[in-house]
Amino acid sequence: MRARTVAGAAVAAGALLVAPCALAQASGAALFSKYCAACHQAQGQGIKGAFPALAGDALVQGDQKTAASVLLHGRGGMPNFSEDLSDADIASVLTYVRSAFGNHAPPISVAAVAAARGGASAAQDDQSALPGH
Amino acid sequence: MANVAMPGGAAFSRRDFLEGLQGVGGTALLMAGMSALGFGIDSAAAAPPTLSGGNGKRVVVLGTGVAGLTSAYELTNAGYDVTVLEARDRVGGRSYTARKGTRLTELGGEAQVCDFDEGYYINPGPWRIPYAHRGYLHYARKFQVGVELFNNDNDHAYINFEKGTGPLAGRPVRKQEIAADTRGYATEMLAKQVRQGALDQEFGPGDKELFLDYLRGEGYLTRNDFRYIGADGRGPDVDPGAGLDPGPGKPSKPHALTDILHSQTWRTLQSVAPLDQQRTMFQPIGGMDQLPAGFVRNLKPIIRLGHVVEKISQSPESVTVAYVDRRGQRGVVTADYCVCTIPLSVLSGIDLQVSPKFKEAISGVSYALVGKIGLQMKTRFWEENHQIYGGHVYFDDPVIGIVSLPSTGWLGPKGVILGFYPHGAAAAQMSAMSLADRKAYALAAGQKVFPEYAQSCDGSFSIAWHRVPFNMGGWAQWTEEGRAKYYPTLLEPDGRLYLAGEHLSYLTGWQEGGIESAWQQIAKLHKRAMAQA
Repeated sequence: MRARTVAGAAVAAGALLVAPCALAQASGAALFSKYCAACHQAQGQGIKGAFPALAGDALVQGDQKTAASVLLHGRGGMPNFSEDLSDADIASVLTYVRSAFGNHAPPISVAAVAAARGGASAAQDDQSALPGH
Repeated sequence: MANVAMPGGAAFSRRDFLEGLQGVGGTALLMAGMSALGFGIDSAAAAPPTLSGGNGKRVVVLGTGVAGLTSAYELTNAGYDVTVLEARDRVGGRSYTARKGTRLTELGGEAQVCDFDEGYYINPGPWRIPYAHRGYLHYARKFQVGVELFNNDNDHAYINFEKGTGPLAGRPVRKQEIAADTRGYATEMLAKQVRQGALDQEFGPGDKELFLDYLRGEGYLTRNDFRYIGADGRGPDVDPGAGLDPGPGKPSKPHALTDILHSQTWRTLQSVAPLDQQRTMFQPIGGMDQLPAGFVRNLKPIIRLGHVVEKISQSPESVTVAYVDRRGQRGVVTADYCVCTIPLSVLSGIDLQVSPKFKEAISGVSYALVGKIGLQMKTRFWEENHQIYGGHVYFDDPVIGIVSLPSTGWLGPKGVILGFYPHGAAAAQMSAMSLADRKAYALAAGQKVFPEYAQSCDGSFSIAWHRVPFNMGGWAQWTEEGRAKYYPTLLEPDGRLYLAGEHLSYLTGWQEGGIESAWQQIAKLHKRAMAQA
């Protein structure tokens, strides 16, 4: 799982050198439908009373560090993805969400995600094959 | 520690390797001086608090998971006038069993009806009861809810790891082979070091000889030269039997150490080592919903189903819960105290009259993404053809995690397999699939291990807990910061509102956490009520 995520991130990071916007969009969109859409819905419209809409949301389009912190640390019912997604993946999916569904906010850099993570940027290797409950 | 040079030039830290051995036995404990094995979590309380003299004071309990039911049961017996509100049309919360006709529609999901045959079931939430969870077992005993053994570790089950390399990757391998070989090679390597005197400074008088005796036994090493050449426990190539054919059978040869290491299969060996995963493990006979049913049999009819809490308000003298029932009728329950067991993921969306600090703390924890699928199989091919009776088959595809074989209905005609158990991002990924795609994904994975898998499946039921109304997550996942900043706030009442549940314990995700949290909170409530009487 880790290896795949990290490899995917490396590809995305490499691609950024070539055509930043288009490829970041594609990668971010794929990450969004894979990890986010189940709750926040395909068009980021959310489900009222359960999952917040991302379309038009102030927090999503606001401060980079705050937005990244939500993915890294969770918030209310929102889980944290700090061990599942790399900084590059988080930057990529946030950049997508900030520019899709009618949102207009600048991209989020990998460095901003790393800063929000607070140093320990490498995802921990999960040694346990059997979940704990 | 020096790295072990591997063929092909790969370096592999010996410590990495030894750390994978925890589950094999006490080896790692001795080798690495690990106290880490002690991190498993025992529960602290064995019996409910003894309460009496409630004297008709009114308590409204919100939720009928084990925390709510425990609170209602104990407070009723203590003389309180208890009313219980439950949002759903059933009791039990996450202590839940899906069987023929069980309906579930996830938020944003399709309507699902469980299509198992009569008598078959899956526990989509909690599914195993560690021996140390004395609160759960207390009520099982009290309400005569029968339990049976849950096989949490099966030596003969498979490991199917695809992300490693070498001949043992990408195919099912019996766990007993990996366990015996890993243990054998590790003890052989350590014995070599010890015999060469490399660890002499670690030993007191007579220790060295005893330690070598231990290593020889632990790894099934040869008597005189401490070599690992295979072990009976890894399973033979031909089973021994009667007469001359098969007669003594044919022993098997160990896999190469490098093949085991690079397959990554050894990572599974630690998996049932923590205290809360050890034998003895139980499950209630007939499904996890049997304990809630036991509570209901022993409670007065005070539970109102289909009552969704909309608002909790307070005055200095009372607490008022506003609800909407299943017919859309609104109403309120006013009481002296409220015990609220609603998950924080849901409570954070309810209109609460509490202090800003309390409100902030409720939102200070995130909830686990987790899911399961039950697959009904027409035959018990895992028993008949593979001699696997319960336990887990391990996958390194995180969307699958494990396939678990049922610890009930042994040797019967059919059975329900747990087909996946993903967590975190993998659970998010699973939950984005349609019900049909989830089933197809699970079947394709199982098919890699059991040729009978896909063709045998004749029913399924899947769940993604983060999308289940009134749950919105598997369990509370506290961070260290949240434990320090928010957890203590939520343990104390806000006015007349007391919270309880697994989220207010260090046994998060276990029913025991809910039960023991309820015990603590109602004891606090009772002490206050008595002081004000």
